[in-house]
Formats: sequence, C-alpha cells, structure tokens
Amino acid sequence: MTKLAALLGFGAILLALPHALSFSQQEILVFLTINVLVVASYRLLTLTGEWSLGHVVIMGVGAYASALLSKRLGIYVPAAMLLGAGTAAMVALALSFPLFRMKGFYFLIGSFAAGEIIRLLWKRFREPFGGPKGIKKIDPMPDFDIGVYVFDFFEPISYYYFALAVVGVSLWVMWRIERSPVGLTFHAVHWQDRLAEASGVNVRAYRTLAFVLASGFAGLSGALLAHYIGTINPNSFDVEQMVFVLTWTIVGGTATFYGPILGCVVLTVLNEIVLREAGFEQMRPLIYGLIMILSVLFMPKGLESLVRGALSRRNANRKMTGETEATE
Amino acid sequence: MIELLAQTGLNALYAASYTALVAVGLVLIFGVMGVINFAHGELFMLGAYAIVAVYADWNLPYLVAVAVGMTFVGIVGLGMERAFFRPLRDNPLGGLVASIGFLMILQALVSMGFGVRMEHVPPVTQDVIVITEKVRLPVFRLAVILAAVVLLASLWAFLKKTRFGWALRASAQDPEAAALQGISINQTARIAMFIGAALAGVAGALTAPLISVNPHMGHSVIVTAFIVIIVGGIGSLEGAVIVAVAYAFVHTFVTTFFDGVIADIVGLLLLLAVLIVKPTGLFGSADRA
Amino acid sequence: MVAKMFKNVLTRRSLLGSGAAVAGSAAAATILPSTAFAQDKVVKIGFLAPLTGPVAAWGKPGLDGCLIWGEWINAAGGINIGGEAHAVEFVAYDNEYDPAKARTGATKLIREDGVKFIMMLGGDTWPGAQPVADRTGMLFSTLLPSDLSPDTTTLIAPCEVHPIYNVTGVEWLANNMPELKTAVMCAQDDALGLPSVATYLAAFEAAGIEMQYAPLLFDPATTDFAPVVTRLISGNPDIVCLDTCYADYVHPICEQLFQQGYGGQVISCTADFYQQIVAKTSEEFMEGFVFQFPDFDDPALNDESINFQMPNEFYAEYASRYGADQWGAVSWEYASIMDLWKAGAEKAGSVEPDAVLAAMKEGGTGLHAFGEADWWGKDLFGIDNALVGNWPVVVIEGGKATIKEFRSIPDWYAKHGELLKKHMSAYGQMWNQRT
Repeated sequence: MTKLAALLGFGAILLALPHALSFSQQEILVFLTINVLVVASYRLLTLTGEWSLGHVVIMGVGAYASALLSKRLGIYVPAAMLLGAGTAAMVALALSFPLFRMKGFYFLIGSFAAGEIIRLLWKRFREPFGGPKGIKKIDPMPDFDIGVYVFDFFEPISYYYFALAVVGVSLWVMWRIERSPVGLTFHAVHWQDRLAEASGVNVRAYRTLAFVLASGFAGLSGALLAHYIGTINPNSFDVEQMVFVLTWTIVGGTATFYGPILGCVVLTVLNEIVLREAGFEQMRPLIYGLIMILSVLFMPKGLESLVRGALSRRNANRKMTGETEATE
Repeated sequence: MIELLAQTGLNALYAASYTALVAVGLVLIFGVMGVINFAHGELFMLGAYAIVAVYADWNLPYLVAVAVGMTFVGIVGLGMERAFFRPLRDNPLGGLVASIGFLMILQALVSMGFGVRMEHVPPVTQDVIVITEKVRLPVFRLAVILAAVVLLASLWAFLKKTRFGWALRASAQDPEAAALQGISINQTARIAMFIGAALAGVAGALTAPLISVNPHMGHSVIVTAFIVIIVGGIGSLEGAVIVAVAYAFVHTFVTTFFDGVIADIVGLLLLLAVLIVKPTGLFGSADRA
Repeated sequence: MVAKMFKNVLTRRSLLGSGAAVAGSAAAATILPSTAFAQDKVVKIGFLAPLTGPVAAWGKPGLDGCLIWGEWINAAGGINIGGEAHAVEFVAYDNEYDPAKARTGATKLIREDGVKFIMMLGGDTWPGAQPVADRTGMLFSTLLPSDLSPDTTTLIAPCEVHPIYNVTGVEWLANNMPELKTAVMCAQDDALGLPSVATYLAAFEAAGIEMQYAPLLFDPATTDFAPVVTRLISGNPDIVCLDTCYADYVHPICEQLFQQGYGGQVISCTADFYQQIVAKTSEEFMEGFVFQFPDFDDPALNDESINFQMPNEFYAEYASRYGADQWGAVSWEYASIMDLWKAGAEKAGSVEPDAVLAAMKEGGTGLHAFGEADWWGKDLFGIDNALVGNWPVVVIEGGKATIKEFRSIPDWYAKHGELLKKHMSAYGQMWNQRT
C-alpha cells in the first residue's frame, strides 16, 4: 500500500516537475527523459555480461528509420516510431550473427566497428540518408487535443509528457522482462556462462534476445529524439555520445534497475545545468571529467550503492524499532 | 606507375611506424593491467604539445624536446596508474570510465593553456632524399621510421633480456601466477604504464612537425590503434606490430588508389572479417578476452 | 497611437542621421560616456556556436572578435535606436555543435535572456534551432549559406557566402595565368567540403580548365596526408585545388606538396595562419598561392567601399589580445555581421527582429563587409537571404597575403550560373535536393 502511494507521489512529482523549471531546463528535461530510455535499454543489454559500443548507433538506426518512414512514405509519426524501433531490433538481429562470435573486449570493439560501418554508410549514401548533413525537417509529432490538455509538440512540456508516457511504458516492459524467467536467465548467462550452457540453456540465443530487445528500445528512444529536434546526422550518434551513455551507466551502477537512470539524471543535471549556470565555459569538460574519475574511485559500486545503503539502513532501523516494540 | 607504387610504399612505411608505437603502448597497458586506456590518444596529443612548448615556444633543440615529451608523458602515465588504475584494478569498467574522464581533463587543460586552434611546429629539417623525380623520402620521415624501429627493438630487448621485462611478460600472461612467483603487481603495472604512455608520447612528439597539432588530435589515432590491437589479438605485442604495418599498408594503398573514406570502410570490414573468422584476433589467446 | 507616431518621427530622424553616424561615433563617445546608459537601455545579442569540442575553432575566436566589437561600440556611445543610446551585450551559449543543444540554447537565449538577434555558425546546429526560430520569429545569422531554404525566412547569411565566392579565385587565376590548363582537387568528405567541390568544379569548367580526375575525398579524421598528395600530383597537374579544407588539413597538405616536389599552382579557399605554412615550406613554394581570406591589416581594406569598421585597428587589437596566431576568418566574420545588424537596427529605429530584418533587406541591397552587395540566393537556396557582392582574391606575395582584386560574384553567376547549378545538383547540394 505504501509502495503504491510512493509510486503515485513520484508520478505526481514527474508531472509537476516541468512547471517548476525554466524554458531551457524544460528542453534539457525532454532530452534527459529520452536518454533515460537509452541507458535503461543499455542496462538490459549488459545484463548478459556484454558491453557494446554500438548502442548509440543502433539508437540512430531507429531515428533514421522513423524519420525516413514518416518523411518519405508519409507514415503517421507514432507508427513510424514503432517501426523505427522494429528496424533497430532487426538490424541488431543481423549484427548479432558476427558479433556474438566475440566476447568481452573483442565484443566491445567489434560492436564499435559495426557501428562505425553503419555511420560511414549514412555518410556515404546521400540517398536516402542525406550524407554528412543527415536529415532535416523531420515531421514533428502531430499536435492533438485530449480535452483537458492541448498537446503542442513544439513546447517542451507537451513533448515531455509524451516522452514520459512512452519511456514509462518502456521501462515498465523492461522491468517485467527482467523479473520474468527470461530475465532471470539473462542474469544466469552473465554469472554462470558455462554452467548455464551445461544445464541446457542456449546461451547465445539469450544473448541475442537481450541484444535485440535492448536495441529495439534504443531505436525507440532514437525515434523520440528525431521527431523532437527535427534533424539528425551521423555525428549525433558518434562514439562521443556513446561514451556519455557508457559513463552514465557505469557511474550510476548496473546492479539495480534504477542505477543507470540515476547516473544519467545526476550527470546530466551537473553538466547541463549546474556547470553551465556556474559559468564554467571551457572548464566544463574538465570538471565533468574530474567528477567521473572521483565517482568511480569513491563510489565503485555506482550511485545506486548510496540509495541501496540508505534503503537498507532504513529497513534495518525499521526492523530494530519493530523488534523493540515486540519485546516491550 | 612503379614510381607511384614506390612512393606509396614509403608513405605506408611512415604511417606504420607511428601507428605501431601507439598500438604497442596500448597493448602493453592492456596486457599487464587489463584495462582499456581510452586516454591513450590524448597521451599521443600531450607528446605533440610537449614539442609545441619545448621546441616551438622555448626554442630548445628538437631532440631535447622529444626526450622531454617522452619522459613527461611517461610520468603522466605513472600518475594515471597511481591515481586511478591502481585503485580500480579489480574494476576494469571503472578504469575505462576513469580514463575517459581523464581524457576530457587533458583536452580541456590543453585547450585552455594553448587555445582551441591548431599549433605551429616549425620543420626540423626540410631535406629530401630524391630517389627519382617522383619518389622522394623526406629525411624527417625517414628519421621517424628509424626512431620507431629503434624504440620497438629496444622494447623487445628489454622484455626479453631483463628481469623487469621477464616480470612484465609473466604478469601479462598470468597475473595471479606472476604474483605467486613474487612479482610485485604494482611494480610491473608502473613499468608497463610508464613505457606504454611514453611510447604514445614519443609517437606524438615525433610526428608533431608533420601533422596538425590540436587538442582533439588524439581521436583519430585511438580508433586506428584499437583496430590494430584487436586484429592483432589483445595482449600480443608482436601481433600489434605486424598488424600496424599491414593496416598502414592497406589503408595507404586504398587511400591512394581509391579514396580515404573507402580506406576507412575497408579497414573496419577487415576488422570484422578477422573477428568473425578468429574471434580472439590473429595472434591472441582466448583466455585474455 | 501617440507612441506609434512618436516612434515614426524618431525612425525618420535616425534615418536622416545614419549617414553621419559613422563619422560622428568617435565624437559621440565624448558626449556620451558609457556609464550614461540607463539600466534598461541594453540590447542583448545571442552567440550560439561551439565554444568547446572539436569545432570550437569555428566559434570561440568569433566570440573573442565580438567582444572587441562590443567594447568599441559601447565606448563610442552604443547603438542609436530611435535617438536613444543602447549598450550592446553578448550572451553566449556553447552548443558544442550539437543540434539538441542548439535548440536548448536558442530557447534559453530567446525566452530567458531576451536577446534580439542570434548569431550561429550554422551547419548541423541550424536545423536544431530552426523550429525555435519559426515559432518566435527570431532573427538568426549563419556562416554557412547552405542552411538557407525557402522556409528559413528569418535566417540570413550576411557575411560568409561560402562556397560561392570561391569562383572569384579561379576566375582570377584563369585571367592572369591562362597557361594553366589542368587541375586536381582534394576535399574532406563533409558538409563544408562537398558544396565547395561543386563550386570549384563549376569554376574550373567555366574557366576552361580540365580536371585530371574526380575530386579525391578524404575522411575528416585523416592525420597523414602523404598518400593523398602522392595521388594528387601523380599526373603532374598545373593546379592543385585544396577546396575548403580546414587549416588542420591545408598545412600538412602543403607541407607534403612541398616535400614531394610539387612546383605548380596551388589554390585554396582558406589559408589560415599561412605564415606557418610558409615556415613549413618556403617562401618560393608559397609564392602565388591563391585563396580568399585577406589579413585585416591589408591596406586595400581601407578603401571607401569597404564597410568593415577600422579593419586594421581591429586586427591589431585582436592580435594584441589573443595573439596574431589566433587570427582567422571567423575572428572578424561575426563582428562584421554585427556591423550589418547595427546598421539595420539604427535604420529601423528598433531592435525587434522583424523590423531589423526589413530594414536590412530594404531595397534588396546591403552593406557587406567587402562592399555594397545584393540580397541574393533564390536560384541556389530558394530564398534571397544571402548577401552576395564582391569578394577579395588574395595571393601570397613575398610571404604576405595581399589582396589582388575584389571580384564580383553576381557577375560570374550571370555568365555561368547554369554550370554551378549543374555541379551543385550532381553533388545533391541544391536546396530542393536536401533531405
């Protein structure tokens, strides 16, 4: 019961949040919401123990597909977004055949190479990908009116609510997957590779499944991004963006569902709001880099370990007070 | 046509020399410490900026500047080892993130100290060995090639002939067994980090007069270096050298006879092809992945 | 109603006075010390360009130049809007050359800082800011006219008309060295390189110069240019064209051309820090190198037709503050856009975007840095929002960049426009081809 109340309270805060922010902070909030989906899907992929450097390019596949489908074929934008997610999942399925022959560091670099090839194809083929300039004037989400609220998707608040709904549903689906027998097998694949195989689990099939699912959600986040800013180009999905996703995830921690999300939120707020407001222009990357180093040094288990620590202390307290009550 | 082939061969030899220096340093660090040094390209960049400061700004002799650059970057490597790679030894992903943070710091420091613009490094020598009218080998490029050969040969001798080298190879092959043999992991890590960083630094210092020196120059060499060490098989120094030479030749010839963008695609496709056929690289062993 | 009449009177007065404004500005400084600006008499200008990251060299030096421009203008009495002096203040937002951050930055500058005009580098970042521009009607400027299209009604390219001005260098070469018959070209494969390739191809075709083979494209991450150069000069061309290569490429390419024994003509769009190229090669090698960006200490810029204010002094001040080695094309370009904006605002008697734009474009001509120019571009961009007129042809003589001539771009286009359209179409660079 308290859990439900907490969840409702949290939801209310998320709904009220943009109204407490300035216009530019609302813009940042939209991008942050989309990035939350990116890091959450990235964690789904890392559950099986593989770290990819191609995730942001896969996100780009979703963005390009959705943009081209809506622009060239006139497909209704929300449908195009779903198709974009599907395309990203399909591309991931195709890539999984060469990539899952590799493991560990080789997989990391192999996925990087595969991603770079995709990016070079976008650059090389001006038709249909637009070459180095990418695609411009991507159709925005069509505005609509639900009676109590008029969605004008130019306004960051409207798009935030839309993205929040999409990301919320996606997170819920990912959460369910992780809790399902399939998700438990993902964990088993990670920790007990050989054992899992010996007990009849098709390790490769589960790795592929995690990769394809994660890529689908990444593609969806790419589509959300594309139809908001209205332009994408090969550099939007380069290794620098990937490095941000990687660091958000690791700084947040991957043991819990919320770890990477926490990392993404905290680091984005620091970099885009705190450091900018403080007026560090050229110093910004320097301080950001320093924060990254300090956080992995002093919070090796990620930001999530702070939350876990707080939660377990509270539980311990409650237990203790419960015990004292019982003895009295 | 023969002349074009010969000139392209010389160009490839030069590209191979600095690629090998950077890649071998990266392999050494990975082999001994098990961590991916994402800031390796920025160490290359620091070596080049050492030349800007010591040779171009203070007008000291070029060789002095190279020595300063190599030592300085080696010391930066020691600092990285002590500051974060050592505390994060059991946390390779943490080490990766820390090195990414460090590369952002280095880029920002250099941007603030030297400006965002490319730097000027006056030529050391403009002499050219004219073999035929169309086949020319600039003396400075020859010097870079020779310096790379000498450095790699001395590294090889160090690894094969000295006690430190033996310890280094032992911990690269099996850190736990090496520790049981009484080899100090801290010490081998320090040596590996110093040498690995110094090699990247000296590569930057040697090529500084020939390339565009700017705060973001590390990016292009790191990508090539990753391709090289993966195809070679991580942990294999010989593999890194052989593949650096092979990659430089393929890339240079494709650039000359097709174009540079196709050369990049060819390089990446070769990488994927090698990994599909032999998922641990050409000279790598499976258990270090 | 009264307010409106009042405004009209003031507008007319400022119109009458605009001719004398430049001459009188030095005198005005003594009458109107900078402390006299009332609190609310400040006009804010947005600067939305990369200040960190790999593209920072296209933004940061421009902001540095604008700061000098702003100090000088404020010291001389500010901007005269309807008879009232306004101090100018630049508000910068680092967009890191990222479209999403450009959108956020545009929102902040317009809706929170209340700027009246935003200068951008453009390129990848413009489409990110475009929806904000459409909604707010804010006036933007870009350095890359290829951002223009029929629906970018509030975007102007008032200074850089890259790459169209490159035709002037080729035309000058053809007129002065008719013996040069063959050419080769290399370019980086990106949004700046490709339209420039199309322009040079058109210019060479118009001049009757034959391309030995198709332009050689290289990746922007290239470090060693020996292979590119070996290939370029393998057929002994009369002319090597470096397209719009960044300084990071022009320098090593020239070094390699020199070392590999090339002795022919070189033409390039830019030659930033060319003194360093001279040092890396030789004065003889660089003699006659043709490009398009003058030094601002060039006496030819003191000509009456030049609209950039005090170019030699600006150059000297910039060099003393930031170092002569930091001077480049973007150092003055954003400042020169400010000259145009100031003239527009003073003419309009208003700082509101639509009024300034209307005043700027009135009569179809405007005061470009290099002389009076036409608002042009319907053919190529689908909108007449690029200010195109004369552009200097600069040649290195005795190790120093020297303006040889100001040539008219519209004159070239009147003769060879179809060629340009043909090559632009082949490279997918016409406004109606851009996806």
